[in-house]
Amino acid sequence: MATGILPTGVAVYAVPLVTILLGILIGFLAQRSGYCSIGGFRDYVLFRHTRLLSGYLALIVASFFGYLLFWFLAPAAMEHFFWALTSDPMSPVPGAPGGLVPVAYLLISVITGFFVGFICVLLGGCPIRQTVMASEGNYKAGFFFLGMCLGSIIFAAYVSGWFTILMRSIGFGG
Amino acid sequence: MLPGNTSDTVHQYFSYLVRHPAFLGALIGVLAAFSQALLISAGGPEAYGFCVACHTRDLVNGMTNIIAGTSLALAPISGNAVLPVMSVAGVLIGAYLSARMYREHRIKRGDLKDYAIYFLGGFIVLQLAMIFGGCPYRAALRTGYGDITALAFIITMAAGVIVGTLLMLRQAQKEDA
Repeated sequence: MATGILPTGVAVYAVPLVTILLGILIGFLAQRSGYCSIGGFRDYVLFRHTRLLSGYLALIVASFFGYLLFWFLAPAAMEHFFWALTSDPMSPVPGAPGGLVPVAYLLISVITGFFVGFICVLLGGCPIRQTVMASEGNYKAGFFFLGMCLGSIIFAAYVSGWFTILMRSIGFGG
Repeated sequence: MLPGNTSDTVHQYFSYLVRHPAFLGALIGVLAAFSQALLISAGGPEAYGFCVACHTRDLVNGMTNIIAGTSLALAPISGNAVLPVMSVAGVLIGAYLSARMYREHRIKRGDLKDYAIYFLGGFIVLQLAMIFGGCPYRAALRTGYGDITALAFIITMAAGVIVGTLLMLRQAQKEDA
């Protein structure tokens, strides 16, 4: 169990507060800059514009250096930094349905990645852009956000379980 | 340079910086690491500082659990805390404030078919993102954290975007002809 800067008793109260402040800052700046990960790749393919793409690449690079910085400052909070070296290199950081073999996770990443990119570019934006556009008064993006809200309940109630059963039945159970 | 112009230059430079996506990208990366260092005691997973799909899931399922007494699955950090992570609510508020402040708030309606397509699109994107364990943003954070499967996700996502863009381009050319 990793320990952060705040003790557990304080952290459980700080979680909603810190994340909402973080979200307000990110939402404000995302509206100002038109930030979008999918749009970055799209603009590069269509017009060779690198403005939005630089935002997404900066995120990848900065997250590495950010984790590196806080790994020096609070090593106990970054238990598995350099994930590929400190754990099984092909396994993912937890957060998805667990208990599958490593090759299954690679396969899942490849397939879901392709379809997330494909669907989002047809709808004109990645999840954060749709959320920002919904706040700007775009009803279509608002319905995208509502779809995500309903989807999260349906995923937790049904799809997650079905998916695990499916993966086990085709021999990917770990 | 005159002293009066210096503050103008600083102001211009600052407003350019604030409007540049790379600045926000760098900011999200560092703040996500900071929020993990601060809050990880409340529970995992790691590299979970900012994610639109996962945090929407946590917000919706967490509030449903509190209000309706259900026990829908969510990340440990949201399950242990008094309220789930609120980043997405923050993004909605922040973007609304910014749109109002700079007079960019415009109501844009579509027809019923558009709403159905976008609703279904959001639904499917969330299922895919949850099966992978993150939206494009958490994929970037995980790549920074050293996760190879997340790098594979980003590469094929770029491939998916390229295929989708070329498809749209071809469609547009067909309509022109």
